[in-house]
Amino acid sequence: MGDVTVRSDSVDVEQIMEQIRARIREKRGADYTEAELHQLATTNLRKFLDPKGVRSDLVEHFRKGRKPAEWANYEFGETTLYESHRAFVRTMRKLLRPVLKLFFNPDPIVSALHIQSQLNTEILRESLRYELVHNLVVELTRASIELQNVKMRVESLSSRLDFDERRARSLESVVEYRQPPRRRETAPEPGPQDQPQPGQAAPAAGEGGQQAGAEDREGGARRRRRRRRRRPGSTLAESGAEGQPAPAPHLTQAEPATAPEEPDTSASEHSAGADHAESPRVAEPPATHEPAAAPESPAPDSTPPPPEDDAPRRDDSGGGGQDGGAQNQ
Amino acid sequence: MKLAIVVQRYGADISGGAELHARYIAERLAKHADVEVLTTCARDYITWKNELPAGEDTVNGIRVRRFPVSRPRRPDDFGRRSARVFEHRHSVREELGWLTSEGPTSPAMIRYIRRQRLAFDFFVFFSFRYYHAWHGIRAVPDKAVLVPTAERDPAAGVSIFGPVLRGARALMYNSLEERAMLDAVSGRRGPGVVVGVGSDVPPRTDPQRFRRKYRLRRPFSVYIGRIDENKGCRELFDYFPRYAARYPRGLDLVLIGSRHLEIPDHPRVRHLGYLPDQDKYDALAAADLLIMPSPFESLSMVALEAWAMGKPVLANGRCDVLRGQCVRSRGGLYYETFDEFAEAMYMLEGSGPVGAFLGRSGRDFYRRHYAWPVIERKYLDMFQRLSREPPAGGIEPLPGFFARHAHNLPPARDVVDAAPKGPVLG
Repeated sequence: MGDVTVRSDSVDVEQIMEQIRARIREKRGADYTEAELHQLATTNLRKFLDPKGVRSDLVEHFRKGRKPAEWANYEFGETTLYESHRAFVRTMRKLLRPVLKLFFNPDPIVSALHIQSQLNTEILRESLRYELVHNLVVELTRASIELQNVKMRVESLSSRLDFDERRARSLESVVEYRQPPRRRETAPEPGPQDQPQPGQAAPAAGEGGQQAGAEDREGGARRRRRRRRRRPGSTLAESGAEGQPAPAPHLTQAEPATAPEEPDTSASEHSAGADHAESPRVAEPPATHEPAAAPESPAPDSTPPPPEDDAPRRDDSGGGGQDGGAQNQ
Repeated sequence: MKLAIVVQRYGADISGGAELHARYIAERLAKHADVEVLTTCARDYITWKNELPAGEDTVNGIRVRRFPVSRPRRPDDFGRRSARVFEHRHSVREELGWLTSEGPTSPAMIRYIRRQRLAFDFFVFFSFRYYHAWHGIRAVPDKAVLVPTAERDPAAGVSIFGPVLRGARALMYNSLEERAMLDAVSGRRGPGVVVGVGSDVPPRTDPQRFRRKYRLRRPFSVYIGRIDENKGCRELFDYFPRYAARYPRGLDLVLIGSRHLEIPDHPRVRHLGYLPDQDKYDALAAADLLIMPSPFESLSMVALEAWAMGKPVLANGRCDVLRGQCVRSRGGLYYETFDEFAEAMYMLEGSGPVGAFLGRSGRDFYRRHYAWPVIERKYLDMFQRLSREPPAGGIEPLPGFFARHAHNLPPARDVVDAAPKGPVLG
C-alpha cells in the first residue's frame, strides 16, 4: 500500500485526496463504488427481485386465460333492461316502454352497459396477457440485475487478483535470501562425522547438480534429523552425544533450489569480517551454481571455518558464523 | 458614516452563525462608523417568540434597537409551505406566504427602516432568506448592502429573492461558491465582494488546562456547533463508531455545543455541552483536528477559527463551500464516504505529518483572507465605492395580481439544482 507523501512546500489537498482514494481502492480491492453500492442497496429492496413472486407456470396460465371467462360477466342488449322471467311482467314492460321513454332516455345507459360488458370480457383476457408480459419484464429485469452483480463480482475478483499479483511481484523483487538456520548447526561438527553416510551423494567437486539432486531426494530425511537436533534446551554437542548422525560436509553448501540466481561478488567482503547474520544479501558459494569452478574449492567447501571465527558468533546468533564460513571459500 | 446592521436576532449570548457574524461585523465597523443594530425581540430561531424587551439596548458597546415579532412562526405551517414552494410548481403569492410564515415577521422594524432611511448611509442586511431582509431591502434598495449568508438549499431558488438580490446595492459574499450560486440563480451583475468574517481568537490558549478540566487523556478530534441533523451530525455519528472500530488507537470525538440529536453512547465520544469561549479555543488547541460534517454552509466560522489556530479541518465534501475552502486554503481534507472519512481521520492524526502541514497552510490562508484588518478594509472600501457611484435603477416591482396568482414558477429545488455545483477552484 502506497504511503501518502506530502512535501511542505507543495501541500495539495486534491492530490492528498487522490492518494487517500487510491489507498481505499487498494484496501478494498476496487470493487464497488459508493454509487454502485447505493444502487445495489436500493435495488434489493424492490419487489421484483424476489423470485418467489414470479409464477413459473406462466404459459399454462396464459393458455387457460385464452378460454372464455367463466366468472360472472353479463350480456347486455337493447332489451335486457325490460326482461323478466315472468311473461306478464315482460309484456307490461314492453307496453310501457314508450311511456318510460317520456321520462328519460335509457338508450345511452343500455349502450354504456353493453360496452362495459364487452370491456369486462376483454379485460379478463388481457389480465393474464398483462401478467405474462409483466412477469417477463420482471424476469428480464431480475436477470439483468443478477448479470450486473455477477459482472461486478468478476471485476472485483479480477482486480483483487491483479492486486495480489502485483503484491507478489513486488514482494519477489524485494525478497531477501537468508541462509537456512540448519547451516549454522552443521558447521561446528567437523571431523570424521563429516564423512558422507552410506547411500548419500559424495561431496566431490563437479557434482554440484547431482549433489543438488541428492539433496532434494534426501531433504526429507535431513529435515527429520535437524528437527530432532533442534529440541529445546539441547545443544549441538548433546545432539551428537545422543547419537544423532552428524551432517555430511556437503550439507554446509547452500541448496541450489534456494540460492540466488547470481552469485554475490562481494563474498570476499563478507568473509573479511562483515556480520553476515545481519547482512541483507548473502552470497552463495560459486560451486553450487557454477559446476566448472567447483573443483577449485572442494576441500574448503567441506571444511568448517576456524573455531576462533566461528564460536563467538554461534554463541550470539546461533550459527550466523556458519554463513561467513561458507563464504570464506 | 452611519450604518444600520439589520439582523434577525442579536445578542451576546446568541450563537447562530449569521447572528454571530453580524455581531462581529457590527463591533468591528463601530471603530470606523456610527453603528446601530436593528433586530427583533426573538431569541429562538424556530419560533421567533418575543423574549427580549422591545426598544433600545446596548450590547458590547453597540446600540441595539429591538422590534417585536408580530406573530411567531408555526413550524408545521412553515413546513407545509416550504414543501409546496420547494418541491412543486407554485405561484408568487405562495412564495410571499412562505416568506411571511418563515418570519421573523416584524412590520414595525420595516416601518422604522422606511422612516429612518435618511438617517443612515447604509443598511447592512444579514441573511437574505428572512422577512426582515426581503422587506427591508425593498424599503431602502439604494442603501441596502446584503450579506446573504446563503447556503445551497432550496430557499435560494425562491423566485421572489431574485429582484432583491439584483436590487441591493452590494453583496458581501462569504465564499466564492456562494457568489457563483447566487449570481447564477438571480442573474445579478452588480457590485459584490467575497469577504467572510474574522474571528476573535485569543492570543494564548491552554490545551493542557482543557484536558485536565475535562479529563481528556487521549488524542481527540473536535466538533463545535449545534449537534443537529441539519449540521450533518447524524452522518458523523454513523461514521465515527465505525472509524473507532477500525482504528482502536485513533482519535476520540469531543462534541461541543447544544444537543438537538441523540448522541451515540460510545466510550470514545464525549459531549461537553455549550462551553465558554476560552474553553472552546482551548479545546481547539488541544484537538488534533476539527470535524465539520455539515453539508450546508455558507461559511464555517469555526473552521476559520481552527485554521487561525493552525489546526486542520476535516469537512464534508458534499458542501461546496467547505470543500472549496479546504482546497484553496490547503488547510484541510474532506470526505464524501465513510472510507474517505476514516482514511482522512487517520492521516490527520497529530502524529502524522499531514495534519501539521495542513494546519500551517490553513493559518496562512486565514491570515491572508480573514484577518480582521482585511475584513474591515473590504467593507470600508465597498462603502466608499457605493458612496461614489450613483445607485442603479432600484428594485423591480412585484408582479400584478394575476401574475402573482399564476402557478408558473418551477420548484425552488430545481432552480438551485440547476445552478453551478462544486467548489470554485480557479
